[in-house]
Amino acid sequence: MSADIVIVDYAVIFTVGSLFVASLSLSKRATIRQSLAFYASLVVLAASLAITLLNLSIYLLFEPKPSYTNLFHVDPLSYFFALTVQIVSLLVILSSKNYMWSDRNLAVYFSLLLFSTLGMVLLSFAADLLMIVVAWELMGIPTYVLTGLRKDNPFSNEAAIKYFLLGAFSSGILLYAISLTYGLTGTTNLIAVLQALQTSAIHLDPLTLLTLALFIAGFGLKMSVVPFHMWIPDAYEGAPTTISAFLSAGTKKAGFVVAIRVFVVALPFLSVNWTTAFAILALATMTLGNVAALTQRSVPRMLAYSSIAQAGYILIGFAVATEPAKTLALIGVLFHVFNHAIMQSSAFLAVAAVDRTTGRVSLDSFASLWRRMPITSFALAVSLLALAGIPPLNGFWSKLVLFAAAIQGEMAWLALAGVLNSALSLGYYAWVIKRMYIDEPTGSMEQGKISEPPVISAVLLVATAIIIVVGIYPSLIYDLAKAAVLALG
Amino acid sequence: MLDIPLLSLMIFIPIIGSIPVYLLGRLRERLAELASLVITIVVFALSLCMYGSLYVSKEGASFRFVEGPYSWLGGFGVDYYLGVDGLSASLILISSLLSVLVVLGSWDLITEKKPIYYFLILLFEGSIIGVFCSLNLILFYVFWEIVLIPMFFFIGVWGGPRRKYAAMKFLIFTFVGSVIMLLGFILIYLFTTPNTFNIPELIGKIPFWVQLLASAAAFIGFGVKLPVVPFHTWLPDAHVEAPAPISVFLAGLLLKMGGYGFIRVNLGLLAEASKQYAWIFIAFGILTMFYGALVAMVQRDLKRMIALTSINHMGFVLLGSFAGISALTAQGAVYGISGAVFQMFNHAAAIGILFMLSGYIHEQAGTRNIDELKGLRVGMPKTALVLILGSLAGMGVPMYSSFLSEWMVILGAISVNRWYALTVLIPLLTVAYFLWMIKRTVLSPLPEHIHYHDMHNRAMIGLLLYLVPLFLLLIFPSLLLGIVDPLSLSLYQAAGGG
Repeated sequence: MSADIVIVDYAVIFTVGSLFVASLSLSKRATIRQSLAFYASLVVLAASLAITLLNLSIYLLFEPKPSYTNLFHVDPLSYFFALTVQIVSLLVILSSKNYMWSDRNLAVYFSLLLFSTLGMVLLSFAADLLMIVVAWELMGIPTYVLTGLRKDNPFSNEAAIKYFLLGAFSSGILLYAISLTYGLTGTTNLIAVLQALQTSAIHLDPLTLLTLALFIAGFGLKMSVVPFHMWIPDAYEGAPTTISAFLSAGTKKAGFVVAIRVFVVALPFLSVNWTTAFAILALATMTLGNVAALTQRSVPRMLAYSSIAQAGYILIGFAVATEPAKTLALIGVLFHVFNHAIMQSSAFLAVAAVDRTTGRVSLDSFASLWRRMPITSFALAVSLLALAGIPPLNGFWSKLVLFAAAIQGEMAWLALAGVLNSALSLGYYAWVIKRMYIDEPTGSMEQGKISEPPVISAVLLVATAIIIVVGIYPSLIYDLAKAAVLALG
Repeated sequence: MLDIPLLSLMIFIPIIGSIPVYLLGRLRERLAELASLVITIVVFALSLCMYGSLYVSKEGASFRFVEGPYSWLGGFGVDYYLGVDGLSASLILISSLLSVLVVLGSWDLITEKKPIYYFLILLFEGSIIGVFCSLNLILFYVFWEIVLIPMFFFIGVWGGPRRKYAAMKFLIFTFVGSVIMLLGFILIYLFTTPNTFNIPELIGKIPFWVQLLASAAAFIGFGVKLPVVPFHTWLPDAHVEAPAPISVFLAGLLLKMGGYGFIRVNLGLLAEASKQYAWIFIAFGILTMFYGALVAMVQRDLKRMIALTSINHMGFVLLGSFAGISALTAQGAVYGISGAVFQMFNHAAAIGILFMLSGYIHEQAGTRNIDELKGLRVGMPKTALVLILGSLAGMGVPMYSSFLSEWMVILGAISVNRWYALTVLIPLLTVAYFLWMIKRTVLSPLPEHIHYHDMHNRAMIGLLLYLVPLFLLLIFPSLLLGIVDPLSLSLYQAAGGG
């Protein structure tokens, strides 16, 4: 199947779907604005997931060559990311049934989620710098609105403004980097950039370095790399918690796929520079994320910092993504991206359930939660243990691969920093678990059992099942990631 | 070779069985107690079969009941690979035995949240058996970490007044140790040809510089568990706060993971580095022994004293294994290494009865403070009897096999360097503080206003069961040494000695 047809499928389904869902908000009847919008979004997403799975299995069964057009790559890497972000979207949309139901703009909410998902899917396939910018904006702009969806909540407004400003900066920086690339190589197609760099003598002049730095800064804002992380905690705390899950598990991952395309595929000849830069960024990101997470009193904020720290682990893979550790490092990146998407959405959605039912998300309000919300507590505990990298849960395996890649790539100090950070992170992950399971409830709180929101509970159980199944049978994702990396060549 | 996957059964019967036990417990709590007793007895029976078969064949040095290697994470050297030799078999035997006794003891001592408690007990049992028979370093690590989770909840949920602090401290300490150990494993994997995590394929192939680094990493990982003195501070807190049956698991089994790791990984895989730098480990071992003994002497809390006893006793394991690997003669090596394994086995049983006893005493007298416990001989004669019998096991006097194991370790150490004969002071110190404790509690007059109640006969029998293996092994030490000695000898020879 040619690359264009695949992409057209997605574009048509999502565009028609989101426009239809958005138009539902004009209806006067609440059931149409709510139920129809919800089910229509589910249908859209299910259809696109079906296409992805179908195409991926066709690809894996018949092993065709990756196909290219001027704008898109269709290879296992694109499918891998498309699959991951669509799973996250599905989990988020499902959970919104309980979490966002009473919102007046529900139809618009779903429509924006679908648009942003389309942006992420296109980003997974994009092979041209201009296409990357278009998809990047398509992914980003709806999320600015979604972050500020609670108009009457000042935190939500502040988060949206902060996120919007920094997001606009990142787009600008990205565009600047792209125009410099065009100036250097005369093209915006990634393959052509690679060829141009191979043949020409451009290596270490200041302009190249500037381009690299601008790319890192532009992508880094979405990838939550220190020092471009400042918006993350505020945005994740102020946004509706489902949107925090979407941002952390979805859009952030899209940053990684373009980073792989640009740095590993297009710019390998400048390796000396960016590997060291990524190593330093990885160290700073995970350390700052973990240390800051230790001191947080609000659980979404803690998860936000934890999400920053997890980005640091993924960056370890970038730091050693050159021979001899290239294959292992990229497998580790993909594997951890997938695992992190599942773990982080599970954690955020569990917090969304707590927020929905108790209206409180401070760490103290989680005391003795397991008596009141056993399913939510269990899912949160499992996802936190997985984030900490306790075997046999999925997070352990991908961290193992990343650390092994670091040692193989002769950056053993980075692996050491990684494991020490993991140990540090257990400090706050276990603290939440201690709150939920060990601490007595504080005086004034309700003690009765809360009826847990049914759809979120189901979503949490599915996410927990994925965490455990991938943990027990890691080859499932590992092999897929390996296929994706090997196809990159 | 048997076709039944005996080892997998011993791991997964408890792990999978824990779910029905939990569900039964939700129905009626008594059912959870009975069902977990049945499961632990089944596992014990299986481990007796396994041990018996190994003993009859006299093949303690090679791996038997091997399952696998089945690829788990293909392409990354992670296999499902199990097997037992003399070291694993003896530790699995004591693990399954202690599990039965702990379940029995918990009937009296654990009163709340029973379903989840027995669920965790079985999870713990299955994963610790997994630790002792994994032949793949990552599989080993996976089980090693699973053990942490039930233990965290045991201490945190069922513990004493400072349980939250103790649970967090335990978790962080051991987790830091284990992730550093994991780095060592990855190092071994990457820089050995062939690239593998499988222990039998790694023996004798690891380059020396990797051995050095991996030894340092493993020393931290296993040293936290054992515990070796600078890393020991989690232990007294965890022990004091944990409920008595869990202290038995902690001291009896969890600490053995450290000792097992030292022998399996440091002596087995990193033999050359261990041999060359044995003196460092021996020095830490002796430091641990003296520290444990001296600090135990001044404790007021009976349970804390017992906890520090186990630090003291675990020092013997470190001393014995590394004295053995660097011994000048094969005889000395067998004394050292076999003595260390023997000591682990004996300590598990001896510390089991002592901790359980501290739980009963706390329940009957309302205090564990040695100064406040008076006149036990009159006030609770049965308890006093068991306390004396148990203390004798802790002291290592020739009434129990703990005497033999300590003696073997010291002999092994002397065969390396005569100055190590100073360690003879350790049993002396141990005897001193135990006798002093008995003098103050058992032999003191009973104050008039205090009325204790004594333990049931069933509890007393349950406790005396711990002493059976100690007694048996004093008379027939070859029951254990028969399968451990060949292993010690082969470890020594593989390290280039004799």
